[in-house]
Amino acid sequence: MTRHYSRVLRLFARFLPADLREPIAGDLHEEYLRLRERRGPTRAAAWLWWNAARLAFTFRWERATHGRPLPPIGDELREFSHMWDGLRQDIVFGARMLRRQPAFTFVALLALALGIGANTAIFSIVDAVLWRPLPYPSSNTVISLGEQRPRENRLHGLVAAADFYDWRRDNRTFSAMAGIEPASVNISGDAEPERIRGIIVTAGLLDVLGIKPALGRDFTRDEEIEGRHQVAIVTDGFWRRRFGADPSIVGRKITLNANPYEVVGVLPASFWWSSTPDVLLAYVTSGEASRANHSMEVVGRLKPGGSFDQASADLDAIGKRLSEQYPQTNARHFPHLVTLQASMVGDVKPALIVLLGAVGLVLLIACANVAMLLLARATSREREIAVRLAIGAGRGRLVRQLLTESVLLATVGGAAGVLVAAWSLTALRALLPASLRLLPGIGQVAVDVRVLTFAIGVSVVTGVVFGVIPAFMAADQRLASALHQEGRSASSGARSTRLRAALVVGELALSLVLLVGAGLLLMSFKRVLDVSPGFAPQNLIVAPIVRSSPRPQALTFYQELLERVRAIPTLEAAALGTPSPLSAIDGRSGFGIEGRTGESPIPVRARPRIITPGYFATLGIPLIAGRTFTERDAEGSPDVVILNAAAVHRYWPNENPIGRRITFFSNNRWLEIVGIVGDVKHAGLDQDTDPEAYLSYRQTHFAFMGQRLSLIVRTHASIATIAPMLRTVVTEIDRNQPIGAVSAMEDVIAETVAPRRLNLWLVAAFAGVALVLTASGLYGVMSYLVAQRTREIGVRMALGATPSSVLQLVLRQAGTMTMAGIAIGLIGALGLTRFLATLLFGVTTTDPFVYASVAVLLAVVALLAAAIPSSRATRVDPLRVLRT
Amino acid sequence: MATNDVSALGEFEQVVLLAILRLGDDAYAVTIREEILQCTGRDVSRGSIYITLDRLETKGYLKSRLADSTPERGGRAKRYYELRPRAIEALKEGRRALVALWRGLESVLA
Repeated sequence: MTRHYSRVLRLFARFLPADLREPIAGDLHEEYLRLRERRGPTRAAAWLWWNAARLAFTFRWERATHGRPLPPIGDELREFSHMWDGLRQDIVFGARMLRRQPAFTFVALLALALGIGANTAIFSIVDAVLWRPLPYPSSNTVISLGEQRPRENRLHGLVAAADFYDWRRDNRTFSAMAGIEPASVNISGDAEPERIRGIIVTAGLLDVLGIKPALGRDFTRDEEIEGRHQVAIVTDGFWRRRFGADPSIVGRKITLNANPYEVVGVLPASFWWSSTPDVLLAYVTSGEASRANHSMEVVGRLKPGGSFDQASADLDAIGKRLSEQYPQTNARHFPHLVTLQASMVGDVKPALIVLLGAVGLVLLIACANVAMLLLARATSREREIAVRLAIGAGRGRLVRQLLTESVLLATVGGAAGVLVAAWSLTALRALLPASLRLLPGIGQVAVDVRVLTFAIGVSVVTGVVFGVIPAFMAADQRLASALHQEGRSASSGARSTRLRAALVVGELALSLVLLVGAGLLLMSFKRVLDVSPGFAPQNLIVAPIVRSSPRPQALTFYQELLERVRAIPTLEAAALGTPSPLSAIDGRSGFGIEGRTGESPIPVRARPRIITPGYFATLGIPLIAGRTFTERDAEGSPDVVILNAAAVHRYWPNENPIGRRITFFSNNRWLEIVGIVGDVKHAGLDQDTDPEAYLSYRQTHFAFMGQRLSLIVRTHASIATIAPMLRTVVTEIDRNQPIGAVSAMEDVIAETVAPRRLNLWLVAAFAGVALVLTASGLYGVMSYLVAQRTREIGVRMALGATPSSVLQLVLRQAGTMTMAGIAIGLIGALGLTRFLATLLFGVTTTDPFVYASVAVLLAVVALLAAAIPSSRATRVDPLRVLRT
Repeated sequence: MATNDVSALGEFEQVVLLAILRLGDDAYAVTIREEILQCTGRDVSRGSIYITLDRLETKGYLKSRLADSTPERGGRAKRYYELRPRAIEALKEGRRALVALWRGLESVLA
């Protein structure tokens, strides 16, 4: 009671003006007495002392500011009693604080906009491609069926037509199943001849995808039998573009590949298939379907209520039976099921996940940077915060205010980030290589509600992450020392210095991880480009020309084409062949070797190529042994074949195969091996070469291939000059004959490495941003440390320290942080880069050269960032420092 | 000069002055704070009340007197405040300025 009063009076004696002590103590006592009646003596005493202390500080502060008016902050903070009003108040106040320090705000916003923007852009791609369902009803029951062939090292290979028919007939778990093959189609007749995209599909594809035709109907099984019907379904886009959305198209005949096809249906606009076809043709089996030629993509829809595992077991049983029944073609072949989505995005998934991880690291680095900026700002705001504490702001309240400020900062940064994301998505879309444009959802990548939600979420979390530690540190400062005008809050200073150092070390470590990733990808890219494609792509131009007329006429056409093209003066060489190197379309076929019986331990298969004489010379593929084709290798003379080195290496490892004979299972003619040529990287520079068998176009094998040859010419003239010439030659022979895209072979190669290049660019860009952020972070910390040690350095210099010893002193501090960051980063990189393994080529995840160069690079950048503030330390004037 | 002083009255200073005016004879820190809470809903810290009272007294808007204690506070000293004419003038001037500014805006801000 009076005990409290006299003690409060004693406290006030030290802080309050004499004339106010007693009445104020009296006021407190009056309220204390009232409270004691209601709440009891303990709580009342606690209340009394809390308020007495606050008052003491308030008056101490008032005196410290020499009677200057109180900042209005105290009132503002207390003005709103409701939480929501408080929040609004925090935001208004926070915005004012941010406006007041434009340099700080700009730097922080820049880091945040880059971090959040990059994350939002990558998220929108990953979300659209990996996480959204395919645009089919219950798309998770749409399954891709492939064949696992361990001896060919194939997990999800294409399927032979005969196997597909058996699967479709015998399964009990699929409500529909369909096979698909790519097709290139010429349309002519009613308008300009045009090469369009097509797919050849069996009946039931629309059932599998759960799509109903907008007009007309789907194909029937009856239409799969050769010679009965020639039917087509057109897609919505093509229907509108070519036929002006004419509803009477159904039932009409159109000319595809020089044959009349009846249009039986039009697909709805919602139809989507990865190769974005214009037209669907009915799959037709001629004679007996092949089990040796794996060319079909198979999809199926599970029966309602059926599970993936049941379907797997079902197909396993069928596959087992088939391999017993047809050991020659089907031994050790296993049906393999994945969801259609997984089969479509499986290849890009690792790259996308790596990008998401990399961009996440960039955001962490940006967070660390902003946290350091906030720490620096907290130092300059120490007095303001001390005042608030003094006039009664609770610590929780203060932390809330500071956190609101950082979340506000992050939200503004996030808004700018969304702009960055929208802009970079536009840029990215233009950079997207053709092979990635086929990904599901890639056309729908945009900043939409989901992406915005993500951006807002990331902004708020980011704001809390970078704001929480500085906020608690600021709110926790020593009041009394901060209130002294000359106050140096030594303890909080040491702590925040440690925190800054930790943040910089963390940034250095994260940057190192990103740089190592970028370095490994760069090495891989270089290694891929160093791979020889097996031919000389410079000055080669390729143009696919599909000739749909029956074989004898097609042969005459190609013959004439070649003669006319060879007459063009600027051309050095010309030949025809299919498939041309690095073109997407390819198949393989099993063959038997004369004199060898029994099951081979490895599958005996080769990829057939149909070529004209002069093909090897035109492309610059070296002849290793034997001879090349001549015009005499025609129908009627002995059948001949030329193998590539890979085929010889695999099937005749220790023999000379020239003069031996092989036969493809698709017909029973024996072909004599007359030559061996060098390997061509057909599947991509980073892929192994498969066995290949070159066949003369004048001898009938794989007749369907003989109708889609590519013209390949070698010339020093530009593609812009050559392309119209080639077109003229083709239309002179047949004005209804379209010509495919004319492209330079070097561009074709560039396109195959484009996804790798894009991935490299993105990771390298992230690593670059990380490096800049880290360098600026280190620069900031070193500046702060030097400023803090100015007095100490001045004393040292007054006592005789040389500038170089001072430089050493300061740089040692930077060096310690850098070394720690690099060491931690190296350990992190060793742990994290294994996620990159599938993206690398010709370099291991622990490549010492990459690790060493990246560490050196980071050390040099760190040294440069530390050099400026360190050299400032050497210019400290001891006289001036000591006088102040 | 006087108008300058008047316009220098802060919003919170006006609140405190008005509360004192309303309380009449019974204006001391505890009751002033309660009056502000009742009329405006603002829970003002004691510190800002005392500082503001002190400042207003220094500026010549208030005069105070130490009064005899009452039994309810156990015989402790108590400082009562009352307005000087200058404060009344300042409040009037403040109100006049606000009313002038408000005129014609009732329909907009009602």
